[in-house]
Amino acid sequence: MSNPDSVPDLTPPDSERQKPFDTNEIDDEDGNDGDENDVEDDDEDEDGNDGVFRGPNRPKPQSREARFRSGKLKMESLLQRMKTGPVSVRVHDVIIKGNTKTKDHIIEAETELLNNVGSMQELLKASQIVNLRLQALEIFDSVKITLDSGPPELPGTANVIIEVVETANPLSGQIAAFTKAEARYSTVEGSLKYKNLFGYGDLWDGSLAYGYDHSTELSAGLYLPRFKGLVTPVTARAYLLSQDWLKFSSYKEQSMGLSLGLFSSEHHDVAYNIAWRTLTDPSQMASRFVRRQLGHNLLSSLKYTFKVDRRNSPMRPTRGYAFVSTTQLGGLVPDNRSLRFLRQEFDLRYAVPLGFYRAALNFGVSGGVVFPWGNGFSSKPSSLPERFFLGGNISPVCALGGPTTLWGFKTRGLGPTEPRRHVNDGTADPSGVDFLGGDLAFTALADLSFDLPFRWFREKGIHAHVFACAGNVAKLTENEYRNFSVQKFVESLRSSVGVGLVVPTSFFRMELNYCYIVKKFDHDRAKTGVRLTFFAAP
Amino acid sequence: MEQVGERESEEFTLVARKPYFDLPTACPVCLPLFIYLKLAHFPFRLSFNSIFPDSDQIPYVESGTYVAYNNENGGVIERLKQDGIVDLDSEFHSVPDWVTMKAMISSWLADAMMYELWVGSDGKSAYKIYYSDLSWPIGKVLFLKQSYSVKQRLGITKDNAEPREHEIYKRAKIAYGALSTRLGDQNFLFDDRPSSLDATFLGHVLVILHALPETSVLRSKLLEHNNIVRYADKLKMELIESSSSSSGPQIHSVPSSSTPKRGPSNGSSKPKSKPKREKTEEEKKFKRRAKYFLAAQLLAVLLFLSVMGGSDADDMELDDEDEGIVYG
Repeated sequence: MSNPDSVPDLTPPDSERQKPFDTNEIDDEDGNDGDENDVEDDDEDEDGNDGVFRGPNRPKPQSREARFRSGKLKMESLLQRMKTGPVSVRVHDVIIKGNTKTKDHIIEAETELLNNVGSMQELLKASQIVNLRLQALEIFDSVKITLDSGPPELPGTANVIIEVVETANPLSGQIAAFTKAEARYSTVEGSLKYKNLFGYGDLWDGSLAYGYDHSTELSAGLYLPRFKGLVTPVTARAYLLSQDWLKFSSYKEQSMGLSLGLFSSEHHDVAYNIAWRTLTDPSQMASRFVRRQLGHNLLSSLKYTFKVDRRNSPMRPTRGYAFVSTTQLGGLVPDNRSLRFLRQEFDLRYAVPLGFYRAALNFGVSGGVVFPWGNGFSSKPSSLPERFFLGGNISPVCALGGPTTLWGFKTRGLGPTEPRRHVNDGTADPSGVDFLGGDLAFTALADLSFDLPFRWFREKGIHAHVFACAGNVAKLTENEYRNFSVQKFVESLRSSVGVGLVVPTSFFRMELNYCYIVKKFDHDRAKTGVRLTFFAAP
Repeated sequence: MEQVGERESEEFTLVARKPYFDLPTACPVCLPLFIYLKLAHFPFRLSFNSIFPDSDQIPYVESGTYVAYNNENGGVIERLKQDGIVDLDSEFHSVPDWVTMKAMISSWLADAMMYELWVGSDGKSAYKIYYSDLSWPIGKVLFLKQSYSVKQRLGITKDNAEPREHEIYKRAKIAYGALSTRLGDQNFLFDDRPSSLDATFLGHVLVILHALPETSVLRSKLLEHNNIVRYADKLKMELIESSSSSSGPQIHSVPSSSTPKRGPSNGSSKPKSKPKREKTEEEKKFKRRAKYFLAAQLLAVLLFLSVMGGSDADDMELDDEDEGIVYG
């Protein structure tokens, strides 16, 4: 969202005088650039080089209307020239004002593309982009870009004056809800942000996040837009994470780590993560497989994400496609005692609009595989938290974090299981099972969404959908891959169908669905009935 | 296809810490249990967990869905006795000497072992036993944490370090003397029959002799008693080194009175699952309902704020290019 006030002023490079166009506040804008260093040049209006909708009020007493009229004429003639063809102009100098704390090179780094413009049209576009970029740094309360003519001895040049106002209050807080890619549940996060502590555009934040699945995360992060000449911003985040899986898999997970965002662009993202992870079982009821996994591990991994999202909306996709592929390689330290694994997952979504009632057909396919590497990898088990678990409260249509969920199945509600410890205390009932997840997971979904014929619903964005999905997880490690066959995998696919109401709110998308479980197996936790699912855009 | 682990549920597995120093398991808590099962000619498999040095659940014995943890019911040996699986001590409980010797080993000698491993020998042996399979930063931090905790438990501070050390070694020396006298020339400590006391003492002696460096004070005190050293070497050869044929006679040395003791004697050290089960169903249901109620309230408030506030989430079309510039 660009600041409507930041309209760049138009001043032609030749001796034409122009009064900048200004819809409402013409009287207020006179001469607010009187103290610009090039205003004294003979070609310039003393008062004319503004055009931004802010500025000190310096009225000139005489012939204001005459000036306004002549300025308007000149503006129109410039626009006429611009319509017919490129008006060549080159940027001579970029002047930065108003930054007391922020280092100049941070701002200059964002204005690089101004140096390459060749025409007035390009200059206007570039100014817009620079304005947006500077605002995206989040350290300025306002950004004002003014175009001025260059020194008189160099015709055909322009100066760009950037005036910034740094944030008066560097501390800000917010509460947000979102669905992280790795989480199986949406989380609510409260965070405090401190902007520009050292003047490098650095953003510090501390946050406390609570997930619906009893996970708690305390983290502190740093965002640096320019770090020693790197092309993309660098983020670093130190975190303390605690997840409670006792009810599902009889273990608790605590992690303490550091994650570094190394490279981030529209389609690519590379991050490095190093963490100390501990799995414990305070309930002492874990099954055999989980007991073997308890303990401490060093996780050192590099994660590469490739993402293309051409859907028209992440909350209600009706057109377009999205593809996400995430590769994670663990065990990057030379120490062979750290956790070594390779994890690959992908998501493909495709939305086809159907034309009536804003209906759309959404298809989706997600899959993932995880495997340890190193000596004897085929007989080693994969690490429990790295495996795939299906089930949960997230809407599968929108979530792009790999195979995570199926409608109707509860958290970690399907897949290989193992009986828990049985304590002989006189009661005969079994203790239940632990869900162990799988090394290979696959889900597929089809969803038809359409508006309801009532205007009230349409206005609020509430619509309905009919869906079907299927999925499965299987174990491949510990030599189980020898017994694996695609036919068996397909035969044991779980599936469900249903119909529901989707309520998009400004925080999240909520679905109220009636799910009918078509196929499930003995220990799966799934029930036909009404369920709520959520999705919050990250 | 979904049930993982349809293995023979009769087979018992002992999960202990890693082998080192020529011992099947070098941890002084795990080795006595290993020896006990060997003395009883109880068939079992040995498995290791070397990534959880600070767990008090290890060592444990498992078979199918049955598990006897170290931190329940007074230890694995006690639990196995109670469940009637293996019991070598059935006739010794009433012998007062036996009980006092047991108390002495599990207090004085245990303290001396802990001191020598973690403080006396600079912890090098302890590091190898417990942390050599963990990545370095984790191992180092856990080791420092444990060293500190041992000093706390033994009541050692900067001021009383020397007198405390002196006291620990003195008690160990008295204990060794008493045990040496008790042992004499016999094969076992009591009645020439193996008991859990032999297992505990032997475990202690083997770790002292093999895992500690030669400069260790405790080790030198132990070496003064030749009969103990002979006893240890002999049993080590019998039980450990000839364990390639480890599946001895498939007999459980279960005593004749094998009714497992249940009831109030289990009260204080029940596994944590017991109190959870005893929590009534009603309480659980109530808590769950309360949670749902709160969540529903919060949801209703959020919905009201967003839907009534008129959200246009679908119509957001960001058109950055032309927004700011207004032309004539």
